[in-house]
Amino acid sequence: MGFVMISRRGGSMPIRRKLSTTMVTTFGLTITLGIAFILAIFLMLVLSKEPAQTIFHFFVGPFANKFYFGNMLNAAIPLVFTGLGISVAFKSSVFNLGGEGQVYSGALVTTAVCLAIPNLNGLLGGTMALAAGLGIGALLAGLSGFFRMKWGTDELISSFLISGAIVLIINYLITGPLDDPTNSLLTTPKIGEQYRLFQFFKPSKLDISAFFAIIAAVLMFFLMYYTHWGYEMRMCGLNREFSRYGGINVSFYMVLPMILSGALHGLAGGFAVMGTHHAALKEFTFGMGWNGIAVALIARNNPLGVLPAAILFAYLDAGAKAAMLHSDVTFEIAAVIQSIIFYLVTAQAIYSLFRYRKREAA
Amino acid sequence: MNDNTFAIPLVHNAVGIMTPFLLAATGGLFTELTGMLNIALEGLMLIGAFFSVVFAAATGSLLMGILLGILATMAVALMFGVISLYLKANIFISGLATNLLASGLTVVLAFQLFGNKGVIRFENIQKLPVLSIPALQKIPVLGDLLIGHNILVYVSWAVLFIAAVVIYRTPFGLRLRGTGMGKDTIASLGLNPTGYQLKAIIISGFTCGLAGAGLTLNLSAFVPNITSGRGWIALVAIYLGNKNPLGILIACFVFGFAESFSNYAQGAMNMPAEIILAFPYIITVAAMIGYSIWRHYRAQA
Repeated sequence: MGFVMISRRGGSMPIRRKLSTTMVTTFGLTITLGIAFILAIFLMLVLSKEPAQTIFHFFVGPFANKFYFGNMLNAAIPLVFTGLGISVAFKSSVFNLGGEGQVYSGALVTTAVCLAIPNLNGLLGGTMALAAGLGIGALLAGLSGFFRMKWGTDELISSFLISGAIVLIINYLITGPLDDPTNSLLTTPKIGEQYRLFQFFKPSKLDISAFFAIIAAVLMFFLMYYTHWGYEMRMCGLNREFSRYGGINVSFYMVLPMILSGALHGLAGGFAVMGTHHAALKEFTFGMGWNGIAVALIARNNPLGVLPAAILFAYLDAGAKAAMLHSDVTFEIAAVIQSIIFYLVTAQAIYSLFRYRKREAA
Repeated sequence: MNDNTFAIPLVHNAVGIMTPFLLAATGGLFTELTGMLNIALEGLMLIGAFFSVVFAAATGSLLMGILLGILATMAVALMFGVISLYLKANIFISGLATNLLASGLTVVLAFQLFGNKGVIRFENIQKLPVLSIPALQKIPVLGDLLIGHNILVYVSWAVLFIAAVVIYRTPFGLRLRGTGMGKDTIASLGLNPTGYQLKAIIISGFTCGLAGAGLTLNLSAFVPNITSGRGWIALVAIYLGNKNPLGILIACFVFGFAESFSNYAQGAMNMPAEIILAFPYIITVAAMIGYSIWRHYRAQA
């Protein structure tokens, strides 16, 4: 089960057709986003008493200065990891809905390890802490995969429920036993200086985990499209029965994508601690798991597409924050716009409309 | 005697707590039988919770509040259904979108209408009427358990009963179940399976609206994300209840009891609230795994 090279992606597909499919997808996505932005403008016209200012800050705010821009990119980092985590699961037709709990537990465990070894060398201790965060995420998601493999328990619901319980238990740990007694905030103590990742885009909080996010996307792309494991995962995603007859160990590929998915979610939490927050705050990873699903969808489960999709999502959040600070709308407007994008991206009929037209014209 | 004073309020509360689960699960049963995984129950319930209390405050009438709240929920369900069925969206993803929309929209509207993103209290709404029949209440144990709940508790039982009749005793129900078993079969009879699926989604909108109304009107207040996972638990109850009304009733009671017991444990055993709140999730997932193990080995035997 090594990393054996297999034939290139879509080997038999004529290049021209492949190109046109890509074009239709890109075109459809552009239209989708266009509609979403028009609806967003409409929403702000209705909700705001000073719509011009609100719309201006919503769209331009994230680019207003280095601070906003860097923070927007920084907010995209965990979304890249969770988006990758979801795309590997969805591409293999297994569902991981426990992202929230996996990110949060990754963050907590990374913090706990950093706090437990306060005097170790930064590189060694930091790697250990991240590995622990990755491990707990992989374990939580892997459990759901294992139950599915062993007894056929629906992994979609079990991963969601396990995550729901974990979030509450971590809330208890952060506000109770692990609370920092020196201040009144609901947070653990800060991790040691040597574990904090370098923030290279001051005054924003953008740190070097951005590069790890890019590396992760490239590695996942390579894994999915150029390795034996990736090939078999994708085959199971396309048709599990067919893969079984083809001699693929189907049950293994119910657990593996879950483990990878959980590991990436755990990393999202770990980097959020070591790069940005330097401690585990109560519910500070809220939304990262859910938004990862949206990011993966916009990216059509392509690991490289996850990068721009994550930035788009972070942009919407940053825009809503800017509009909230400088105008009279509330931040949750971002959730409404994101849900519209969600609907439009998954509405297949919009895409097939273009495809149909094209075929008729040809 | 001591046992009774402990057990009876526990079960009495469980019967009250299970109502939103039961209503949402009843609606979810319709969508489940037509072969759709309806994870939008959570969001639909939240929409119902928000609009019923807002309309009740605006019209000054509980009944109008409930009716308009249900209508609003059915409208959102209709949109969700049309996008999923006619625009061919993945129903799982459009369901997630509906949940996201509900949690965003309710807060945006609350902020717009009341300038507040936290708990919104409505002082001018009367409480949901409580059924009290002194004669029946005298029946030992059963009277204590089943009488003295608010009116929606009894409505939920009626809804479940009607649902059972519709599903098993009417042509509509038969075709509904047929849609889940094979869309092509229904289509070959000259019927429109997608139409049945849409109707099932709208029915789930109706029951989720009612379930949401029960949550907020009971408190006379709206709390952001007041549903807090109840729609998901309702979904699990459908599976645990083996997709039939009686099974759902039992599963919902188990969840109601779990929550009622956690409320009790919080007071009596001095356990941290977060750990207690995690109980329903842990019990649910344990029940799910146990059930699938049982099914797995029964299938092998």
